Order: sequence, then structure tokens, then C-alpha cells
Amino acid sequence: MAFEPRIVGFLCNWCTYTGADLAGTARVKYSPNVRSIRVMCSGRVDPVFIITALAGGADGVLIGGCHPGDCHYQEGNYKALRRYLLLRKILPEYGIEPERVRLEWVSASEGERFGRVVDEFTEQIRALGPLKLEESVLESMKNDVMHEGGTPAHTTGV
Amino acid sequence: MKLKIGIYWGAACGGCDVAILDTHERILEIAAAADILFWPIAMDFKYDDVRAMPDGHLDAVLYSGAIRNSENEEIAVLLRRKAKAMIALGACAHIGGIPGLSNMFTRDETLKRVYIESESADNPEGVLPSERTVNDGNELELPRFYNTVKTLSQVVDVDYTIPGCPPASMQIYSAIGLIADGMLPKKGSVIGAGDRALCDECARTKSEKKITKIYRTHERLPDPETCFLEQGYLCLGPATRSGCGSRCIKSGVPCRGCYGPLDGVADQGLKMLSALASVIDGKEEQEINATLDMVAAPLTTLHRFSLASSIPRRKKV
Amino acid sequence: MKRIAIDPITRLEGHGKITIFVNDDGTVENAYLQIPELRGFEKFVEGLPVEEIPRVVTRICGV
Repeated sequence: MAFEPRIVGFLCNWCTYTGADLAGTARVKYSPNVRSIRVMCSGRVDPVFIITALAGGADGVLIGGCHPGDCHYQEGNYKALRRYLLLRKILPEYGIEPERVRLEWVSASEGERFGRVVDEFTEQIRALGPLKLEESVLESMKNDVMHEGGTPAHTTGV
Repeated sequence: MKLKIGIYWGAACGGCDVAILDTHERILEIAAAADILFWPIAMDFKYDDVRAMPDGHLDAVLYSGAIRNSENEEIAVLLRRKAKAMIALGACAHIGGIPGLSNMFTRDETLKRVYIESESADNPEGVLPSERTVNDGNELELPRFYNTVKTLSQVVDVDYTIPGCPPASMQIYSAIGLIADGMLPKKGSVIGAGDRALCDECARTKSEKKITKIYRTHERLPDPETCFLEQGYLCLGPATRSGCGSRCIKSGVPCRGCYGPLDGVADQGLKMLSALASVIDGKEEQEINATLDMVAAPLTTLHRFSLASSIPRRKKV
Repeated sequence: MKRIAIDPITRLEGHGKITIFVNDDGTVENAYLQIPELRGFEKFVEGLPVEEIPRVVTRICGV
């Protein structure tokens, strides 16, 4: 079966999520690969959410926030930007392509642009292929057993 | 009635055992409250003595060290069975500790470096340790060296945790007091530590943090009164549990995170990542990156003691 | 042939195991000391900031 990227989107309530709504009401056609989660602000997106999504089977994570200067809470999107940039530095050390995480500013009026961003990101992840983070970690532990033929103590996932 | 306790080390350095001894004359109080029935570093009991105990014989086991090989895991499983309360002692058992940094590499990479490429190795035939060797007709066994270092709670059920690298001796003493007095809190609790971030007990002056430059500790002398993070030193205090008595901070060294995360935090390093990103100045990608580029080896710096307990646990292979 | 295992050897820092093989006439044929523990500092210090090394390798032995 052809690979269909699974992307988790953390979208800010005030801009990107509303932009995604607009894309829907305006009947914009775009890839169905993003599972959207509404957060109050891109600054609410804890890096734990992103890594948990990747470890839980996502191939990519999209964070959507308000354009610089437009944050409903003044500074949240700048915090998101700084976290995102630092997170992108540790991803390659984990052996994860940094391109799998993307931050985009999409305003409430940019329904079409939301569709374009999703299309573009989906194609980018498609080109990278599946991440399989959890599988790879479990695979790395499959011989970590006390006795030949035994089962690893921890098989319940990452 | 006197308590029965066991003390063991997996992949450890013995620093936790020494921290127990560093209770000085109070070790006599510990000895008065508890019979120690297993403690390889200090007393002569064998694995068979533990195997011969009935299940649940020990009131508490203090297990220090990470799970690096099958022996560490086997003894953890054995002691878990013999113990009423299994206590992870120190950063390695708690969050993987320094041995957990091995999760940046594979088992094969490590063995090759240690036994073949090491500058001091004299091994022209490239012999690697194997689980079964026959020499002169004598069969010998070694534990299986694991690919991925694990924390104690990743292989057995852990009742309590005493954090630290090493745990502060007085904290071990007071934790043993809790066991002796039957005052242990609810299962899963961290004992012998605070329940707030290290920053809360740090005596340094803090004001609004906005940093544009990260300093490494050898680059200049820090001011002794001001918050390390404000001065641009990567201090893990915001993401680290208190309880150590600010040992490093008082010695002029930024916190390195050995007491692990606070309750409810899924990943200490990522928590620190958030904290650090919050204090960096700048709104443009370029200027933020210029500051972030000064963080050397960010993954292992943020997860110095906690890599094995980070969400992905290891580098992807 | 009798096999005597002293496992673990105690009252020292580190892990060790001694296996002794005794002949039927009671003499020791072979005795082996094995160190079952390895953490791999040689490898995992690679890539760490240089100022970290003195603070990491102190965890080789804490006694």
C-alpha cells in the first residue's frame, strides 16, 4: 500500500484553526493528511506534544500560529518560534529529520494558504517517507532480553 | 521489629553507596533500625543468598544504577520479588543517569570502540565479549550487553524514588527514616527530595531574563550572586527537582539536572528546552538561531541525566 | 569436575565474578575472574562538550 503521511497539526485557535475553518467553508481542496488539534495559542505547544506525536506514530507535525505581531496573547508565537528552532536542533541528534516538524504563520483569513501549506508539507513528508520512531526503538530493544528466546521487559511502546 | 533491607547496584559507579556511607555516624542509626541482608560493595552476601530468601522477605531494596545488561535486569527482577518496597536510588535507576548517554549509540558501536578501537586496547584478533565462551573445556558465561540502556522502572515495578547523582546523604537518611517509621507516602512518590523546582530554593538574584549569548562554563567566570541563566549559562534549575541543597549552585556551577523532573513532567530535557526558549531574546529567526547555535550538543546537554527516560529513549537506529 | 562460582565478589567497587573449576582429585584446574559490567564511557563521551568530560567521567567510579 502506498505511504500516506500521518501529520498532526497543532493549530492556534485565533488564527490558523480559524484559517482551516475558512478553508473548509470556502471549499478549498487540500490533502486530508493533517489531524488538527486546536490549541489556544501556538505558545501552548509544549515540545512534549510534538515528540509524543512523533513517538506515537505521526510522520510529521505542523504547528500553526498567528503572524508575528498578531498573537492574541502578545508574545506566544515568538515563544513558539524559539522552541521550534531549538527543537529542530535536537531532532537530528535523535536521528529524526528536522523537516518533519514545521511552523507556519497562517491567519484567520488565509484559508487558501492553509490548504497550500498542508499540501506542500504533506508532499515533503511523503518524500521523507514514514518515520516509524516507535518501531525503531522497539526493534532496538528486541534482543535486550534476560534469556535467549525471552521477551524484552518493556514492549508497551515508547 | 528491625527492618530488613537490601542494597544493590546495576550499571552504576558506586557513588550512591558511598552517599549512604556519607551519612557518617548516622550509619549506626541506620544499622540499629535495619539489618542489611545484601550489599555487595560493603558486605559479603552472594546472589544465591538472595535467591534463598522467601518472597517479600526484605522490607525495602535500594537499587542504584541503570539497566545496562541482562544481569542488571535479572537481579532487579529477583530483588523486586524479594522486596516489599522497591526503591530506585539515584539518577541512573531513576532516569538513566550518565550511563543512559549510551543511548546515543548502539551496542555494536560501543563494543567496537571499547574493545577494538580504544587506544589502550591490544586486541589484534578483534575478540569481543560473548555470552558463552569455552576455554580449555571450561564453559563461562557473561551477561548480555543491551542495545538500549533502561531505567529501573522500565523493567520492574518501582514503588519509590530517591533522586540525585548522587542523592544527598541526609536525604537518604531521612528516606530510610520514613521506611523505619512506616511513614512512606503513596506509591510512586519521590522521597528524599523537594517538590518544587531548584530555582525556587536558589539564593541567587533573579530578574527578568533576556539572553542573547550562551556561555560555556570554561569561557568566563560567572558572577556569584546572579542567576546563572540570566548570565547566559545553561542552568537546568528551572526543569529540575529541588532537594540537593543547591550543591552545584553554591559551588559556582550551573545545575546539571541530576535530581530529574518534577511530578507530572513527561520529559525533563524538553521541559528545559521550553524554559530556555522562553528566556532567549529575539523575534527574528536569524537572531534566535545565532544564540541557539551557542548551545553545544543540545540533546545531551538538555538530557544529560535523563536521555534513557526521554520520550524516544534513544537515538533512532 | 566441580565448578565453584563466587558471584558476585564483594566489598569492592564494581562487578566481578570468579569461577573455579576443580578436578575430581580436588585440585584446581582453572580459575577465572570475569568482569560482567560495561557501561561504555569510551564511546558515549564522543560528541559531548569538552567541559563535560571531567564531570561525566567522575561517574566511572564514585567510590
